[in-house]
Amino acid sequence: MKVGFFVGCNTAFNRPDLEQAVRYAFPALGIELDNLEGQSCCPAWGTMPSVDLVGWCAVGARNWAIAEEKGLENIVTVCGSCYGSLAESKYKMVTKPELKVKVNEILKDIGKEFKGTSNVRHAFYFLYYEVGPDKIKEALKHRLDGLTVAVQPGCHSLWPSEVYYDKEENTFYPKVLREMCEALGATAPYYSRLLDCCGMGAMRSTDREKSFNLFQKKLLAIKEEVNPDLVVTGCSSCLIQFDATQEILRKEKKINFEIPALHYMQVLALCLGANPEQVTGLAKTDVSQVVKRILEG
Amino acid sequence: MTTAAIPEVVNLSETELGLVDEIKELGGEELLECIQCGKCAAACPLVLAGFSFFNKRVVQAILLGLKEPLLDDSSIWACQSCNRCVEVCPRRVNPFEIVQAMRRVAVREFALPTLSIEGLKSLYDTGHAVYLAEAGNTRAKVGLPEKPPSTVAYPEALKELQAVMRKTALADLGIIPMGEPM
Repeated sequence: MKVGFFVGCNTAFNRPDLEQAVRYAFPALGIELDNLEGQSCCPAWGTMPSVDLVGWCAVGARNWAIAEEKGLENIVTVCGSCYGSLAESKYKMVTKPELKVKVNEILKDIGKEFKGTSNVRHAFYFLYYEVGPDKIKEALKHRLDGLTVAVQPGCHSLWPSEVYYDKEENTFYPKVLREMCEALGATAPYYSRLLDCCGMGAMRSTDREKSFNLFQKKLLAIKEEVNPDLVVTGCSSCLIQFDATQEILRKEKKINFEIPALHYMQVLALCLGANPEQVTGLAKTDVSQVVKRILEG
Repeated sequence: MTTAAIPEVVNLSETELGLVDEIKELGGEELLECIQCGKCAAACPLVLAGFSFFNKRVVQAILLGLKEPLLDDSSIWACQSCNRCVEVCPRRVNPFEIVQAMRRVAVREFALPTLSIEGLKSLYDTGHAVYLAEAGNTRAKVGLPEKPPSTVAYPEALKELQAVMRKTALADLGIIPMGEPM
């Protein structure tokens, strides 16, 4: 099996340890990654989608065409925004033929065409549906037995469900990321603010204080209700908020604790035997103890 | 709070009722289906975080032609694009697309945040809205090539992307310099 790896901006430039985790974990599970050479930004919400519908879809369609030309049925991403932007651009072009015509008129000049033959999949959903928790369990070298995690699936992994290939039974009670953590041996309980947005992204760019307050509400609920050894995110942007913002809140004396944070693909890569420095080396939260316990598990 | 810009009694003859058509043209096609039920607001992170304008109020302000108050407030740019509102809307209004359409109106008035302009410029110049020139070191530290396999490693691909972007509305708006590459 071969899938395209859509790296995106934050993963490539802010958290390349997460990129390395993907590049380790997929082959370790027997899935080859294609680099989708020449891929660009998805495009991010605050850029082309905020300017023009056709322009948004045209930049997205160039990325889609790269995967389609290679005959790739699936591309995977670890970023919620890439997942959402790409899924929505495809959905819009497929459901509105006149939009697709306009976009392909633009792409014609660079010798490309959007057909709509590939799917974008969130990495952990792809592994859940195409490999499955049981096979993943068999491949593990280390486990999370005895560890409790709080999951943060991320908004874009869930909504709008209409545009996504992979579905949850109930997007307001998501189970897939919890089951994927349980497959690694962890306890992954529900908590009251599981669905809450982390506040990263446009909100943080617009008003840091409001974004951080929203994040703090979520973090306090996690601490009080779950008191986890680790926060496991499904999205690279959620990862950055959980990993980098706790220190800021501590300095402002708004919290007096720290919960290590990793993306699901980083935890999976560790369990599959990856070098911890390479797949978690850029974490700002202190992940050393939890990584040690995983490697002993 | 810039909501103070909204008078207690809105005189519709003084507001921009053409805003409705502008929004419909720019992607908010289902605007008039909204019955202001508020389900979208109940699901919106902007409400939880305390922003002045969120999905339901953006729709309401558009219907009243309150263009200036919307442009003066940063709320529409804080929308997380999370699409909870799209999921729950019983009238299939697609409130997220209406917020995006309002951003598109704002862009046409050059009322967009500096960060968005920087993001667009970075997208055009490198192919990435978020780009860190110094990331090569951290990438090498975790055992990766200094450049990801994107437009930053493939100059021909960047030229393609730029050619695409020059054919979009962005080029007509003149928000960022979009000269032919050298």
